[in-house]
Amino acid sequence: MNVKPTHFALLDSPLPIVVLDKDLQLLSASKVAAPFFEQPKDFQYAHLNEIFGKACKGFAVAAKQSSSHIETLPIISKNGKQRWIRTSMLPTTGEAETFHVYFDDVTEGKIQFELAMQAKKIAKIGSWKVDLLKNTVTWSAITKEIHEVPEDFVPNLEQGINFYKKGEHRDKIIEVVSECMEKGKAYDVELVIVTAKGNEKWVRAIGEAEISNGKTIGFQGVFQDIDDIKRERLRNQVMDDRMRVAVESANIGIWDWDIVKDELIWDKNMFALFGIGQEEFDGAYDAWESAVHPEDKERAAYEVGLALEGKKDFDTEFRITKGDRSNAHIQGRAQVFRDEQGRPLRMVGINADITKIKRKDERLRKLLELTEKQNKKLLNFAHIVSHNLRSNSSNISMLSGMLLSEAAKGRTDEFMGMIQKSSEKLEETLNQLNEIIKIQATSKSDLTQIRVRPVLDDVCESINAIIKASKAKISVQIKEDLKVWGIKPYLASIFLNLLTNSIKYRNPDKGLNIKIKAKVLENQTILSFNDNGLGIDLKRHGKNLFGMYKTFHAHKDAKGIGLFISKNQMEAMNGKIEVASQVSKGSSFYLYFKH
Amino acid sequence: MGAKKMFLVDDDEIFRTAAEVLITSEGVASEVVQLENGLVAYEAFEALENNPEELPALMFLDINMPIMNGWELLEELKNGPKAIRDKVQIHILTSSIDPNDLNLSKMYDFIDGYITKPLTIADLEKVKKGLP
Repeated sequence: MNVKPTHFALLDSPLPIVVLDKDLQLLSASKVAAPFFEQPKDFQYAHLNEIFGKACKGFAVAAKQSSSHIETLPIISKNGKQRWIRTSMLPTTGEAETFHVYFDDVTEGKIQFELAMQAKKIAKIGSWKVDLLKNTVTWSAITKEIHEVPEDFVPNLEQGINFYKKGEHRDKIIEVVSECMEKGKAYDVELVIVTAKGNEKWVRAIGEAEISNGKTIGFQGVFQDIDDIKRERLRNQVMDDRMRVAVESANIGIWDWDIVKDELIWDKNMFALFGIGQEEFDGAYDAWESAVHPEDKERAAYEVGLALEGKKDFDTEFRITKGDRSNAHIQGRAQVFRDEQGRPLRMVGINADITKIKRKDERLRKLLELTEKQNKKLLNFAHIVSHNLRSNSSNISMLSGMLLSEAAKGRTDEFMGMIQKSSEKLEETLNQLNEIIKIQATSKSDLTQIRVRPVLDDVCESINAIIKASKAKISVQIKEDLKVWGIKPYLASIFLNLLTNSIKYRNPDKGLNIKIKAKVLENQTILSFNDNGLGIDLKRHGKNLFGMYKTFHAHKDAKGIGLFISKNQMEAMNGKIEVASQVSKGSSFYLYFKH
Repeated sequence: MGAKKMFLVDDDEIFRTAAEVLITSEGVASEVVQLENGLVAYEAFEALENNPEELPALMFLDINMPIMNGWELLEELKNGPKAIRDKVQIHILTSSIDPNDLNLSKMYDFIDGYITKPLTIADLEKVKKGLP
């Protein structure tokens, strides 16, 4: 063997090394080289092909171009087992035409690799290899399985690409494979293929170039069926998206309280819900504290406690004052997460702005109240129709019938007079009805600020004669400039009604005293009319006092309409009328005017 | 045969006047005692407590009256002397067309009839037939 001195040191090394010429003929070998291949120490190989028992084509090509080449090749050892030898060929430094070749037994690694490949089989991972020199494509069994092609299927590169779904998926694989070929750039993509049986499935394709002498001579990689995972992931993403849209559009904020660390976290919706900036507060708890209505704070905190103890699910409502000082109703629900011993670890909840719903509820409630009120008024109307209209009309009908049937023979004039009287009463009733309907058509916008004293003085002046006749003493303790929201004629009508009632139902045994006072409160003014007259048995008549055509005194002028009209007028002025009375002690009527 | 005496309880003077003419001309009763509300009627009954033979055979009773209305008088009679309930035929006579009033009248088993105004000759003939 023609050993060149420069090789000497190498050949003395304890590693299996050989030196080749460009025809892969062995020029020299290290001492351990032959034993490495289970040959006697002095055995000498003539050619690289001899070592591996086959043509080492990749090395031949590389040697011709004076480039390096690395390949792992199998040999059969004497005990029949396969050994894997990584063979690295490098051009000898500074010397053309010769190559150093290092051998390394990578069997163990290879076995592990095989095992890994088996594991991949379970994970539906296949492998593939493209040899650009031979222009062949090799697919592993799993890769074929994923593509749903028969075991004997022989693919080529173009076919392989065409399995990718037309459109973005195929465009993408072409892009990454091209880059891999041209620039040696590895890729890892998730795309959809259409299998030979026409099924669409998600795959993960990983590829890397096999580069020899700076040139891509092929590429290889793995191919994984990720259809289930991907679909699940996509579903989750859709769910996530839907959830996010739902959460955002429903004005729902989410909070998360780490009980162990005592950390409260709000999502951005929470801050939006409360109308405050995230940066304005040290933490979410401060923000919450600052916003919750003081009357609701303690209760909400108590309910959190109940939830932590597991006594009651957290589902409550509370009021907040938002950053812009407007108020909102919040509904809160939460769930407590516990450790195995049942200790609370974490509480996660949602807050929803239910102000709009609340307002709608409120409107409905008001509407219901109004309807009830109107129903009562309708009942009153039924009563009028039933009693006053019918009693007069039936009188007219009976009287005229009697006139015609001669039952009233000889008393014609008397009967005509009674018919006349009945029709007058009928007209009066109709006028009163008209009055009531007018009052009820009053709108709040008709209200003005009215000075009470001049109205009261005018009324007293108008009934000066009967006041004098009754010898009533009227004391008025109302400031000259006191004003109430009202309608002037209504106010006058109510004053007149109360004063004439007091005079009409005065106690004949004592002198009549009427006291009129005013009391101005924060949001209302109360006028009171107090007398020392006969009084009303409120136990007996209280519920009917302000009803239509209810009279409580056997008095010839008692018509039972006055208080009913006064009540309606007060209501039309957004106020109310109340009474306190004791038989034979006197009565007090209170008029409430809202500010 | 008509009744010798009857009570006519109503607060409406015109009605009382006209009704009395009609009642006497139809021969339902020879003497009509006009009473202007429940309390006056109650006092009239009270006055006859020791002379049950003087009780009227018939009473027309209005419902809507001041002081004491028809229902209140009926309550008093319900708890009063049995003789009144036995001897006096009581007919409600009202302008009310409220069904609640008709239903309420059925609560009193000693009521003999319910007449809605206007009072007609046909009503009176029916009442007369029911008299002993």
